[in-house]
Amino acid sequence: MTGTRLSRRALIAGAGTAALAAPTFAGMGAKLGGMIDLALPGGPSLRPTTPAFPGKGEMIVQRIRPPLLETPMAAFREGIITPNDRMFVRWNWQMPTEVKAADHRVAVGGAVTKAVSLTLDDIASAGETVSVIAVNQCAGNGRGLSQPRVTGTQWGNGAMGCAKWTGVRLKDVLAKAGVAAGARRVRFAGLDVPLTDGAPQFIKSIPLDIAMRDDVLVAWGMNDEPLSILHGFPLRIVVPGWFSTYWVKMLATIEVLSGEDDSYYVADSYRMPAQPITPDAKDFPTVPITTMPPRALITSHEDGDVVKLGKPLVLEGIAFGGDAALDRVDLVGKGWEIPCTLGPDEGGPYAFRRWQVTLPQVAGDFEGIGVRARNVNGAVQPADFAWNPSGYARNVIERITLRAQ
Amino acid sequence: MKRLATIPALALLLAACDTAPAASFKDASLTLPDDPLDLPEGPGRDAVIENCTACHSPSTMLQQPKVSPEKWKSIIGKMKTLYKAPIDDAAVPAIVEYMVHVQSQPEPGA
Ligand code: HEC
Repeated sequence: MTGTRLSRRALIAGAGTAALAAPTFAGMGAKLGGMIDLALPGGPSLRPTTPAFPGKGEMIVQRIRPPLLETPMAAFREGIITPNDRMFVRWNWQMPTEVKAADHRVAVGGAVTKAVSLTLDDIASAGETVSVIAVNQCAGNGRGLSQPRVTGTQWGNGAMGCAKWTGVRLKDVLAKAGVAAGARRVRFAGLDVPLTDGAPQFIKSIPLDIAMRDDVLVAWGMNDEPLSILHGFPLRIVVPGWFSTYWVKMLATIEVLSGEDDSYYVADSYRMPAQPITPDAKDFPTVPITTMPPRALITSHEDGDVVKLGKPLVLEGIAFGGDAALDRVDLVGKGWEIPCTLGPDEGGPYAFRRWQVTLPQVAGDFEGIGVRARNVNGAVQPADFAWNPSGYARNVIERITLRAQ
Repeated sequence: MKRLATIPALALLLAACDTAPAASFKDASLTLPDDPLDLPEGPGRDAVIENCTACHSPSTMLQQPKVSPEKWKSIIGKMKTLYKAPIDDAAVPAIVEYMVHVQSQPEPGA
Protein backbone atom coordinates (compact mmCIF):
# COMPACT_ATOMS: atom_id res chain seq x y z
CA MET A 1 0.00 0.00 0.00
CA THR A 2 2.71 2.44 1.01
CA GLY A 3 4.36 2.07 -2.39
CA THR A 4 1.42 3.70 -4.13
CA ARG A 5 1.26 6.57 -1.64
CA LEU A 6 2.76 9.94 -2.15
CA SER A 7 6.17 11.01 -1.14
CA ARG A 8 6.97 14.69 -1.42
CA ARG A 9 9.22 13.86 -4.35
CA ALA A 10 6.44 12.00 -6.17
CA LEU A 11 4.10 14.90 -5.58
CA ILE A 12 6.48 17.33 -7.19
CA ALA A 13 7.26 14.98 -10.06
CA GLY A 14 3.56 14.54 -10.75
CA ALA A 15 3.02 18.25 -10.74
CA GLY A 16 5.93 18.79 -13.10
CA THR A 17 4.48 16.77 -15.96
CA ALA A 18 1.15 18.48 -15.63
CA ALA A 19 2.76 21.91 -15.86
CA LEU A 20 2.92 21.75 -19.65
CA ALA A 21 -0.75 22.39 -20.08
CA ALA A 22 -2.85 25.47 -20.76
CA PRO A 23 -2.72 28.32 -18.29
CA THR A 24 -6.26 29.51 -17.59
CA PHE A 25 -9.58 28.27 -16.32
CA ALA A 26 -11.17 29.75 -19.43
CA GLY A 27 -8.61 27.86 -21.48
CA MET A 28 -9.90 24.68 -19.92
CA GLY A 29 -13.36 25.45 -21.26
CA ALA A 30 -12.05 26.04 -24.71
CA LYS A 31 -10.17 22.78 -24.57
CA LEU A 32 -12.95 20.66 -23.17
CA GLY A 33 -16.12 21.93 -24.80
CA GLY A 34 -18.59 24.63 -23.78
CA MET A 35 -19.05 26.74 -20.69
CA ILE A 36 -22.04 26.92 -18.38
CA ASP A 37 -22.94 29.59 -15.85
CA LEU A 38 -24.13 28.10 -12.56
CA ALA A 39 -25.29 31.51 -11.25
CA LEU A 40 -23.31 31.16 -8.04
CA PRO A 41 -23.66 34.42 -6.11
CA GLY A 42 -20.44 36.43 -6.27
CA GLY A 43 -18.76 33.82 -8.52
CA PRO A 44 -16.67 32.27 -9.82
CA SER A 45 -19.67 30.91 -11.62
CA LEU A 46 -18.54 29.64 -15.02
CA ARG A 47 -17.68 25.97 -15.43
CA PRO A 48 -16.46 24.08 -18.48
CA THR A 49 -18.65 21.31 -19.85
CA THR A 50 -17.35 18.23 -21.63
CA PRO A 51 -18.44 14.92 -23.09
CA ALA A 52 -14.84 13.65 -22.70
CA PHE A 53 -15.36 11.30 -19.75
CA PRO A 54 -15.88 7.73 -21.00
CA GLY A 55 -19.53 6.73 -20.76
CA LYS A 56 -20.68 10.27 -20.02
CA GLY A 57 -22.54 12.80 -22.13
CA GLU A 58 -22.09 16.56 -21.76
CA MET A 59 -21.28 17.10 -18.07
CA ILE A 60 -20.30 20.12 -16.02
CA VAL A 61 -16.68 19.77 -14.91
CA GLN A 62 -16.21 20.77 -11.28
CA ARG A 63 -12.99 18.79 -11.14
CA ILE A 64 -11.22 16.26 -13.36
CA ARG A 65 -9.14 14.56 -10.68
CA PRO A 66 -10.65 13.06 -8.58
CA PRO A 67 -13.70 13.43 -10.83
CA LEU A 68 -16.53 15.75 -9.82
CA LEU A 69 -19.07 16.03 -12.63
CA GLU A 70 -22.35 17.88 -12.31
CA THR A 71 -25.54 17.11 -14.24
CA PRO A 72 -26.76 20.04 -16.35
CA MET A 73 -30.36 21.03 -15.43
CA ALA A 74 -31.42 20.26 -19.01
CA ALA A 75 -31.04 16.56 -18.21
CA PHE A 76 -33.98 16.83 -15.78
CA ARG A 77 -36.44 18.21 -18.35
CA GLU A 78 -38.00 14.85 -19.19
CA GLY A 79 -38.97 11.69 -17.37
CA ILE A 80 -38.01 10.58 -13.90
CA ILE A 81 -34.87 8.58 -14.70
CA THR A 82 -31.53 10.30 -15.08
CA PRO A 83 -29.67 8.46 -17.85
CA ASN A 84 -26.36 6.90 -16.84
CA ASP A 85 -24.44 9.22 -19.11
CA ARG A 86 -25.87 12.25 -17.27
CA MET A 87 -25.73 11.08 -13.63
CA PHE A 88 -23.45 13.24 -11.46
CA VAL A 89 -20.08 11.85 -10.37
CA ARG A 90 -18.42 12.47 -7.03
CA TRP A 91 -15.18 11.03 -5.61
CA ASN A 92 -13.43 12.32 -2.49
CA TRP A 93 -10.09 10.61 -3.23
CA GLN A 94 -8.87 9.37 -6.60
CA MET A 95 -10.46 6.01 -7.41
CA PRO A 96 -8.60 3.21 -9.23
CA THR A 97 -9.15 3.40 -12.99
CA GLU A 98 -9.06 -0.35 -13.48
CA VAL A 99 -10.83 -3.14 -11.58
CA LYS A 100 -10.51 -6.85 -12.39
CA ALA A 101 -13.79 -8.58 -11.68
CA ALA A 102 -12.32 -12.00 -10.92
CA ASP A 103 -9.87 -10.56 -8.39
CA HIS A 104 -12.35 -8.37 -6.55
CA ARG A 105 -13.33 -9.42 -3.04
CA VAL A 106 -15.68 -7.95 -0.48
CA ALA A 107 -14.46 -8.63 3.04
CA VAL A 108 -17.27 -8.89 5.60
CA GLY A 109 -15.93 -8.69 9.13
CA GLY A 110 -15.99 -6.97 12.48
CA ALA A 111 -18.81 -7.97 14.85
CA VAL A 112 -19.80 -11.07 12.86
CA THR A 113 -20.00 -14.76 13.62
CA LYS A 114 -17.55 -15.70 10.87
CA ALA A 115 -15.58 -13.21 8.77
CA VAL A 116 -15.81 -13.99 5.06
CA SER A 117 -14.27 -12.80 1.83
CA LEU A 118 -16.82 -12.83 -0.99
CA THR A 119 -16.35 -12.90 -4.76
CA LEU A 120 -18.70 -10.96 -7.00
CA ASP A 121 -20.54 -14.18 -7.80
CA ASP A 122 -20.92 -14.90 -4.06
CA ILE A 123 -22.51 -11.48 -3.67
CA ALA A 124 -24.79 -11.85 -6.68
CA SER A 125 -26.08 -15.18 -5.35
CA ALA A 126 -26.38 -14.04 -1.72
CA GLY A 127 -30.11 -13.50 -2.11
CA GLU A 128 -32.95 -12.48 -4.36
CA THR A 129 -32.08 -9.90 -7.04
CA VAL A 130 -34.09 -6.77 -6.37
CA SER A 131 -34.38 -3.27 -7.82
CA VAL A 132 -35.33 0.06 -6.36
CA ILE A 133 -35.74 3.42 -8.06
CA ALA A 134 -34.18 6.08 -5.90
CA VAL A 135 -32.75 9.58 -5.97
CA ASN A 136 -29.01 9.71 -5.43
CA GLN A 137 -28.12 13.17 -4.13
CA CYS A 138 -24.85 14.56 -2.81
CA ALA A 139 -25.13 16.05 0.69
CA GLY A 140 -23.49 19.19 -0.72
CA ASN A 141 -25.86 19.57 -3.69
CA GLY A 142 -26.43 23.31 -4.20
CA ARG A 143 -23.55 24.31 -1.88
CA GLY A 144 -22.38 26.96 -4.35
CA LEU A 145 -25.68 28.79 -3.91
CA SER A 146 -25.18 29.25 -0.15
CA GLN A 147 -25.22 32.84 1.07
CA PRO A 148 -22.91 33.67 2.73
CA ARG A 149 -20.82 31.38 0.52
CA VAL A 150 -18.93 28.46 2.07
CA THR A 151 -15.85 26.56 0.82
CA GLY A 152 -16.00 23.01 -0.56
CA THR A 153 -17.13 21.72 -3.95
CA GLN A 154 -19.12 24.55 -5.50
CA TRP A 155 -22.06 22.56 -6.87
CA GLY A 156 -25.11 24.10 -8.47
CA ASN A 157 -28.22 21.95 -8.05
CA GLY A 158 -27.06 19.17 -10.39
CA ALA A 159 -25.33 16.88 -7.89
CA MET A 160 -28.34 14.59 -7.95
CA GLY A 161 -30.12 12.12 -10.18
CA CYS A 162 -32.65 9.31 -10.08
CA ALA A 163 -31.86 5.78 -11.25
CA LYS A 164 -33.03 2.22 -11.01
CA TRP A 165 -30.56 0.35 -8.80
CA THR A 166 -30.29 -3.43 -8.98
CA GLY A 167 -28.52 -5.78 -6.62
CA VAL A 168 -29.04 -7.94 -3.57
CA ARG A 169 -30.17 -6.84 -0.13
CA LEU A 170 -27.34 -5.83 2.17
CA LYS A 171 -28.92 -7.96 4.88
CA ASP A 172 -28.51 -11.06 2.69
CA VAL A 173 -24.82 -10.26 2.25
CA LEU A 174 -24.46 -9.69 6.00
CA ALA A 175 -26.13 -13.08 6.59
CA LYS A 176 -23.16 -14.74 4.87
CA ALA A 177 -21.05 -13.69 7.85
CA GLY A 178 -23.77 -13.58 10.50
CA VAL A 179 -24.26 -10.38 12.47
CA ALA A 180 -23.07 -10.89 16.06
CA ALA A 181 -25.07 -9.91 19.14
CA GLY A 182 -24.45 -6.32 20.17
CA ALA A 183 -23.89 -5.03 16.63
CA ARG A 184 -24.71 -1.33 16.29
CA ARG A 185 -23.61 -0.04 12.88
CA VAL A 186 -22.39 -1.29 9.52
CA ARG A 187 -19.45 0.48 7.89
CA PHE A 188 -18.41 0.44 4.25
CA ALA A 189 -15.11 1.06 2.51
CA GLY A 190 -14.31 1.15 -1.18
CA LEU A 191 -11.18 0.82 -3.27
CA ASP A 192 -10.62 4.58 -3.21
CA VAL A 193 -7.88 5.15 -0.65
CA PRO A 194 -5.96 8.30 0.31
CA LEU A 195 -2.75 9.10 -1.51
CA THR A 196 -0.98 9.95 1.74
CA ASP A 197 -0.26 7.82 4.80
CA GLY A 198 -2.32 8.80 7.81
CA ALA A 199 -5.02 10.66 5.87
CA PRO A 200 -8.57 9.51 6.55
CA GLN A 201 -10.00 6.90 4.17
CA PHE A 202 -13.49 7.64 2.86
CA ILE A 203 -15.43 5.13 4.97
CA LYS A 204 -19.05 5.57 6.08
CA SER A 205 -21.43 3.70 8.35
CA ILE A 206 -25.17 3.41 8.87
CA PRO A 207 -27.14 2.19 11.91
CA LEU A 208 -27.88 -1.54 11.92
CA ASP A 209 -31.66 -1.07 11.61
CA ILE A 210 -31.12 0.89 8.39
CA ALA A 211 -28.66 -1.72 7.10
CA MET A 212 -31.34 -4.39 7.63
CA ARG A 213 -33.99 -2.55 5.62
CA ASP A 214 -35.51 -4.49 2.73
CA ASP A 215 -34.58 -1.81 0.22
CA VAL A 216 -30.95 -1.19 1.23
CA LEU A 217 -28.85 -2.85 -1.45
CA VAL A 218 -25.43 -3.96 -2.50
CA ALA A 219 -26.00 -2.94 -6.11
CA TRP A 220 -24.23 -3.75 -9.37
CA GLY A 221 -26.83 -2.41 -11.79
CA MET A 222 -27.71 1.17 -12.62
CA ASN A 223 -30.57 1.64 -15.07
CA ASP A 224 -30.13 -1.96 -16.27
CA GLU A 225 -26.44 -1.56 -17.04
CA PRO A 226 -23.45 -2.62 -14.94
CA LEU A 227 -22.08 0.19 -12.78
CA SER A 228 -19.26 1.96 -14.57
CA ILE A 229 -15.96 2.79 -12.87
CA LEU A 230 -17.13 6.39 -12.42
CA HIS A 231 -20.25 5.19 -10.62
CA GLY A 232 -18.50 2.64 -8.43
CA PHE A 233 -17.88 -0.60 -10.35
CA PRO A 234 -18.31 -3.35 -9.37
CA LEU A 235 -20.61 -2.71 -6.40
CA ARG A 236 -22.02 0.18 -4.45
CA ILE A 237 -24.26 0.57 -1.44
CA VAL A 238 -27.72 2.03 -2.08
CA VAL A 239 -29.67 3.58 0.84
CA PRO A 240 -32.92 5.02 -0.58
CA GLY A 241 -33.89 8.27 1.11
CA TRP A 242 -30.39 8.91 2.49
CA PHE A 243 -27.79 11.25 1.01
CA SER A 244 -25.35 9.55 -1.34
CA THR A 245 -22.38 10.00 0.99
CA TYR A 246 -23.51 6.65 2.44
CA TRP A 247 -23.80 4.98 -0.97
CA VAL A 248 -20.16 3.85 -0.85
CA LYS A 249 -18.77 2.96 -4.27
CA MET A 250 -16.29 0.23 -5.35
CA LEU A 251 -17.36 -1.62 -2.23
CA ALA A 252 -14.49 -3.69 -0.84
CA THR A 253 -15.14 -3.94 2.91
CA ILE A 254 -18.23 -4.31 5.06
CA GLU A 255 -17.46 -3.98 8.75
CA VAL A 256 -20.02 -4.54 11.48
CA LEU A 257 -19.37 -2.23 14.44
CA SER A 258 -20.40 -2.92 18.01
CA GLY A 259 -19.94 0.70 19.07
CA GLU A 260 -20.17 4.21 17.66
CA ASP A 261 -18.23 5.10 14.53
CA ASP A 262 -15.42 7.52 15.37
CA SER A 263 -13.94 7.63 11.87
CA TYR A 264 -13.39 11.06 10.31
CA TYR A 265 -16.10 11.13 7.63
CA VAL A 266 -18.77 10.19 10.20
CA ALA A 267 -17.54 11.71 13.47
CA ASP A 268 -15.96 14.93 12.13
CA SER A 269 -17.33 15.73 8.71
CA TYR A 270 -20.62 15.39 6.82
CA ARG A 271 -22.27 16.93 9.87
CA MET A 272 -24.90 19.64 10.35
CA PRO A 273 -25.59 21.97 13.27
CA ALA A 274 -28.05 20.21 15.60
CA GLN A 275 -30.09 23.43 15.72
CA PRO A 276 -30.28 26.25 13.18
CA ILE A 277 -27.34 28.65 13.58
CA THR A 278 -26.20 32.01 12.23
CA PRO A 279 -23.03 32.34 10.14
CA ASP A 280 -21.07 33.81 13.07
CA ALA A 281 -21.90 30.93 15.47
CA LYS A 282 -18.98 29.03 17.02
CA ASP A 283 -18.80 25.73 18.93
CA PHE A 284 -22.29 24.41 18.32
CA PRO A 285 -23.35 20.75 18.62
CA THR A 286 -23.60 18.83 15.34
CA VAL A 287 -25.40 15.74 14.05
CA PRO A 288 -24.50 13.57 11.04
CA ILE A 289 -26.17 14.25 7.70
CA THR A 290 -28.51 11.30 7.13
CA THR A 291 -31.91 11.42 5.39
CA MET A 292 -32.87 13.79 2.59
CA PRO A 293 -35.55 16.46 2.91
CA PRO A 294 -38.05 17.05 0.08
CA ARG A 295 -37.13 19.21 -2.94
CA ALA A 296 -38.76 20.48 -6.11
CA LEU A 297 -37.28 22.32 -9.09
CA ILE A 298 -38.67 24.07 -12.14
CA THR A 299 -37.12 22.46 -15.24
CA SER A 300 -39.23 24.02 -18.02
CA HIS A 301 -37.89 27.54 -17.43
CA GLU A 302 -34.70 29.19 -16.25
CA ASP A 303 -34.23 32.37 -14.28
CA GLY A 304 -34.67 35.35 -16.60
CA ASP A 305 -36.63 33.53 -19.32
CA VAL A 306 -39.19 35.55 -21.27
CA VAL A 307 -42.83 34.39 -21.37
CA LYS A 308 -45.68 35.61 -23.57
CA LEU A 309 -47.91 38.30 -22.10
CA GLY A 310 -51.63 37.47 -22.30
CA LYS A 311 -51.02 33.81 -23.08
CA PRO A 312 -51.37 30.71 -20.87
CA LEU A 313 -48.16 29.48 -19.27
CA VAL A 314 -47.29 25.88 -18.47
CA LEU A 315 -44.59 25.29 -15.85
CA GLU A 316 -43.08 21.85 -15.31
CA GLY A 317 -40.45 20.20 -13.23
CA ILE A 318 -39.32 17.44 -10.93
CA ALA A 319 -39.79 16.82 -7.23
CA PHE A 320 -38.99 14.17 -4.67
CA GLY A 321 -40.04 13.57 -1.09
CA GLY A 322 -36.59 12.72 0.31
CA ASP A 323 -36.91 9.93 2.89
CA ALA A 324 -40.68 9.62 2.38
CA ALA A 325 -43.02 9.74 -0.61
CA LEU A 326 -43.86 13.08 -2.17
CA ASP A 327 -47.24 14.36 -1.04
CA ARG A 328 -47.72 17.62 -2.95
CA VAL A 329 -46.03 20.43 -4.84
CA ASP A 330 -47.18 24.07 -4.83
CA LEU A 331 -46.09 26.95 -6.99
CA VAL A 332 -45.39 29.87 -4.67
CA GLY A 333 -44.97 33.56 -5.38
CA LYS A 334 -44.98 36.62 -3.15
CA GLY A 335 -48.14 36.18 -1.10
CA TRP A 336 -49.80 33.52 -3.27
CA GLU A 337 -49.59 29.81 -3.97
CA ILE A 338 -51.16 27.44 -6.50
CA PRO A 339 -51.23 23.63 -6.20
CA CYS A 340 -49.43 21.73 -8.98
CA THR A 341 -50.60 18.51 -10.56
CA LEU A 342 -48.35 15.56 -9.88
CA GLY A 343 -47.43 13.25 -12.73
CA PRO A 344 -47.95 9.49 -12.38
CA ASP A 345 -46.14 7.72 -9.58
CA GLU A 346 -43.77 5.80 -11.84
CA GLY A 347 -40.90 5.14 -9.49
CA GLY A 348 -42.19 4.76 -5.94
CA PRO A 349 -41.51 6.80 -2.82
CA TYR A 350 -37.81 7.51 -3.33
CA ALA A 351 -37.93 8.49 -7.00
CA PHE A 352 -38.28 11.77 -8.85
CA ARG A 353 -41.86 12.58 -9.76
CA ARG A 354 -42.93 15.13 -12.33
CA TRP A 355 -45.27 18.02 -11.60
CA GLN A 356 -47.02 20.57 -13.80
CA VAL A 357 -49.12 23.68 -13.41
CA THR A 358 -50.94 25.81 -16.00
CA LEU A 359 -51.47 29.52 -15.40
CA PRO A 360 -54.44 30.63 -17.54
CA GLN A 361 -53.05 34.00 -18.59
CA VAL A 362 -49.74 35.79 -18.08
CA ALA A 363 -50.60 39.26 -16.76
CA GLY A 364 -47.07 40.48 -15.99
CA ASP A 365 -43.63 39.46 -14.77
CA PHE A 366 -43.35 36.61 -12.29
CA GLU A 367 -40.90 37.81 -9.66
CA GLY A 368 -39.21 35.18 -7.51
CA ILE A 369 -41.52 32.26 -8.09
CA GLY A 370 -40.59 28.78 -6.94
CA VAL A 371 -41.98 25.35 -6.23
CA ARG A 372 -42.35 23.86 -2.78
CA ALA A 373 -42.51 20.10 -2.16
CA ARG A 374 -44.02 18.41 0.87
CA ASN A 375 -43.66 14.73 1.72
CA VAL A 376 -46.17 12.40 3.37
CA ASN A 377 -44.46 12.87 6.74
CA GLY A 378 -45.30 16.56 6.54
CA ALA A 379 -41.73 17.76 5.86
CA VAL A 380 -41.96 20.82 3.64
CA GLN A 381 -39.38 22.99 1.89
CA PRO A 382 -38.60 26.16 3.84
CA ALA A 383 -38.90 29.67 2.41
CA ASP A 384 -35.67 30.68 4.17
CA PHE A 385 -32.37 28.96 3.67
CA ALA A 386 -31.08 27.10 6.75
CA TRP A 387 -27.45 28.23 6.42
CA ASN A 388 -24.83 25.83 7.69
CA PRO A 389 -21.03 26.02 7.45
CA SER A 390 -20.65 23.14 5.02
CA GLY A 391 -23.62 23.97 2.82
CA TYR A 392 -25.30 20.61 3.38
CA ALA A 393 -28.86 19.47 2.72
CA ARG A 394 -29.94 22.57 0.83
CA ASN A 395 -33.69 22.46 0.27
CA VAL A 396 -34.81 26.08 0.42
CA ILE A 397 -37.44 26.91 -2.23
CA GLU A 398 -35.41 27.77 -5.38
CA ARG A 399 -36.80 30.93 -6.99
CA ILE A 400 -36.66 32.28 -10.53
CA THR A 401 -38.01 35.39 -12.22
CA LEU A 402 -39.85 35.24 -15.56
CA ARG A 403 -40.28 38.36 -17.74
CA ALA A 404 -43.54 38.88 -19.60
CA GLN A 405 -43.40 40.41 -23.08
CA MET B 1 -55.18 10.63 -2.35
CA LYS B 2 -51.61 10.59 -3.60
CA ARG B 3 -50.58 8.81 -0.46
CA LEU B 4 -52.41 5.65 -1.51
CA ALA B 5 -50.77 5.55 -4.88
CA THR B 6 -47.32 4.89 -3.46
CA ILE B 7 -48.14 1.70 -1.60
CA PRO B 8 -48.57 -0.70 -4.54
CA ALA B 9 -45.58 0.91 -6.23
CA LEU B 10 -43.37 0.14 -3.27
CA ALA B 11 -44.39 -3.49 -3.23
CA LEU B 12 -43.71 -3.70 -6.94
CA LEU B 13 -40.31 -2.12 -6.79
CA LEU B 14 -38.99 -4.42 -4.17
CA ALA B 15 -40.20 -7.53 -5.87
CA ALA B 16 -37.71 -9.70 -7.67
CA CYS B 17 -37.20 -8.22 -11.08
CA ASP B 18 -37.20 -10.10 -14.33
CA THR B 19 -35.81 -7.26 -16.38
CA ALA B 20 -32.75 -6.72 -14.20
CA PRO B 21 -29.36 -7.37 -15.75
CA ALA B 22 -28.05 -10.78 -14.80
CA ALA B 23 -25.04 -10.10 -12.65
CA SER B 24 -22.20 -10.89 -14.99
CA PHE B 25 -19.11 -9.01 -14.06
CA LYS B 26 -16.60 -8.00 -16.70
CA ASP B 27 -13.37 -6.16 -15.98
CA ALA B 28 -13.75 -2.40 -16.11
CA SER B 29 -11.30 0.36 -16.82
CA LEU B 30 -11.33 4.04 -17.54
CA THR B 31 -9.03 6.66 -19.00
CA LEU B 32 -9.58 10.08 -17.50
CA PRO B 33 -9.40 13.10 -19.81
CA ASP B 34 -6.26 15.24 -19.60
CA ASP B 35 -6.12 17.41 -16.54
CA PRO B 36 -4.76 20.74 -17.74
CA LEU B 37 -2.95 22.78 -15.12
CA ASP B 38 -5.23 25.74 -15.58
CA LEU B 39 -3.60 28.05 -13.10
CA PRO B 40 -3.52 31.65 -14.35
CA GLU B 41 -0.17 33.43 -14.20
CA GLY B 42 0.48 35.16 -10.91
CA PRO B 43 2.94 35.48 -8.03
CA GLY B 44 3.38 32.12 -6.28
CA ARG B 45 2.02 29.98 -9.09
CA ASP B 46 5.00 27.60 -8.90
CA ALA B 47 4.45 27.10 -5.16
CA VAL B 48 0.84 26.14 -5.85
CA ILE B 49 1.83 23.72 -8.61
CA GLU B 50 4.42 22.08 -6.36
CA ASN B 51 2.30 21.81 -3.25
CA CYS B 52 -1.33 21.73 -4.26
CA THR B 53 -1.88 19.79 -7.47
CA ALA B 54 -0.92 16.23 -6.56
CA CYS B 55 -4.19 15.17 -4.95
CA HIS B 56 -6.65 17.27 -6.92
CA SER B 57 -7.00 19.38 -10.03
CA PRO B 58 -6.42 23.13 -9.68
CA SER B 59 -10.15 23.73 -10.18
CA THR B 60 -10.51 22.70 -6.51
CA MET B 61 -8.79 25.97 -5.59
CA LEU B 62 -10.01 28.14 -8.45
CA GLN B 63 -13.72 27.45 -7.98
CA GLN B 64 -13.79 28.63 -4.34
CA PRO B 65 -15.69 31.77 -3.40
CA LYS B 66 -13.56 34.75 -2.45
CA VAL B 67 -12.18 34.24 1.06
CA SER B 68 -9.66 36.03 3.28
CA PRO B 69 -5.91 35.29 3.44
CA GLU B 70 -6.53 33.84 6.92
CA LYS B 71 -9.07 31.43 5.49
CA TRP B 72 -6.56 30.34 2.81
CA LYS B 73 -4.02 29.76 5.58
CA SER B 74 -6.51 27.61 7.43
CA ILE B 75 -7.40 25.64 4.27
CA ILE B 76 -3.69 24.95 3.70
CA GLY B 77 -3.42 23.92 7.35
CA LYS B 78 -6.30 21.48 6.86
CA MET B 79 -4.58 19.98 3.80
CA LYS B 80 -1.51 19.44 5.90
CA THR B 81 -2.84 18.19 9.22
CA LEU B 82 -5.91 16.29 8.05
CA TYR B 83 -5.00 15.06 4.57
CA LYS B 84 -1.25 14.81 5.33
CA ALA B 85 -0.28 16.93 2.34
CA PRO B 86 3.52 17.27 2.31
CA ILE B 87 3.45 21.06 2.09
CA ASP B 88 6.61 23.07 2.43
CA ASP B 89 5.98 25.53 5.29
CA ALA B 90 8.19 28.10 3.60
CA ALA B 91 5.87 28.05 0.57
CA VAL B 92 2.69 28.88 2.50
CA PRO B 93 2.94 32.69 2.19
CA ALA B 94 3.45 32.39 -1.58
CA ILE B 95 0.48 30.03 -1.92
CA VAL B 96 -1.71 32.42 0.06
CA GLU B 97 -0.50 35.36 -1.99
CA TYR B 98 -1.28 33.55 -5.23
CA MET B 99 -4.79 32.53 -4.18
CA VAL B 100 -5.61 36.04 -2.99
CA HIS B 101 -4.24 37.46 -6.26
CA VAL B 102 -6.24 35.05 -8.44
CA GLN B 103 -9.41 35.76 -6.49
CA SER B 104 -8.97 39.50 -7.01
CA GLN B 105 -8.98 39.10 -10.80
CA PRO B 106 -12.21 39.23 -12.83
CA GLU B 107 -13.53 35.80 -13.74
CA PRO B 108 -12.10 34.81 -17.14
CA GLY B 109 -14.80 34.94 -19.77
CA ALA B 110 -17.37 36.51 -17.42
C1 HEC C 1 -2.52 15.02 0.21
C2 HEC C 1 -3.50 15.40 -0.74
C3 HEC C 1 -3.78 16.89 -0.88
C4 HEC C 1 -2.91 17.91 -1.18
C5 HEC C 1 -1.43 17.81 -1.49
C6 HEC C 1 -3.70 19.12 -1.18
N1 HEC C 1 -5.01 18.82 -0.93
FE1 HEC C 1 -6.55 20.14 -1.01
N2 HEC C 1 -7.87 18.61 -0.66
C7 HEC C 1 -7.53 17.29 -0.45
C8 HEC C 1 -8.73 16.51 -0.22
C9 HEC C 1 -8.80 15.02 0.05
C10 HEC C 1 -9.81 17.42 -0.31
C11 HEC C 1 -11.29 17.10 -0.18
C12 HEC C 1 -11.74 16.65 -1.54
C13 HEC C 1 -13.20 16.38 -1.67
O1 HEC C 1 -13.97 16.54 -0.72
O2 HEC C 1 -13.59 15.98 -2.79
C14 HEC C 1 -9.23 18.72 -0.59
C15 HEC C 1 -9.99 19.88 -0.78
C16 HEC C 1 -9.46 21.14 -1.02
C17 HEC C 1 -10.24 22.36 -1.16
C18 HEC C 1 -11.76 22.44 -1.13
C19 HEC C 1 -12.23 23.02 0.16
C20 HEC C 1 -12.20 22.06 1.30
O3 HEC C 1 -11.86 22.50 2.41
O4 HEC C 1 -12.51 20.88 1.10
C21 HEC C 1 -9.38 23.37 -1.35
C22 HEC C 1 -9.71 24.84 -1.53
C23 HEC C 1 -8.03 22.80 -1.34
N3 HEC C 1 -8.13 21.43 -1.16
C24 HEC C 1 -6.88 23.53 -1.49
C25 HEC C 1 -5.60 22.99 -1.45
C26 HEC C 1 -4.41 23.78 -1.51
C27 HEC C 1 -4.36 25.30 -1.60
C28 HEC C 1 -3.36 22.91 -1.49
C29 HEC C 1 -1.89 23.24 -1.46
C30 HEC C 1 -1.45 24.05 -0.37
C31 HEC C 1 -3.92 21.56 -1.39
N4 HEC C 1 -5.27 21.66 -1.37
C32 HEC C 1 -3.17 20.38 -1.38
C33 HEC C 1 -6.26 16.76 -0.47
C34 HEC C 1 -5.10 17.47 -0.74
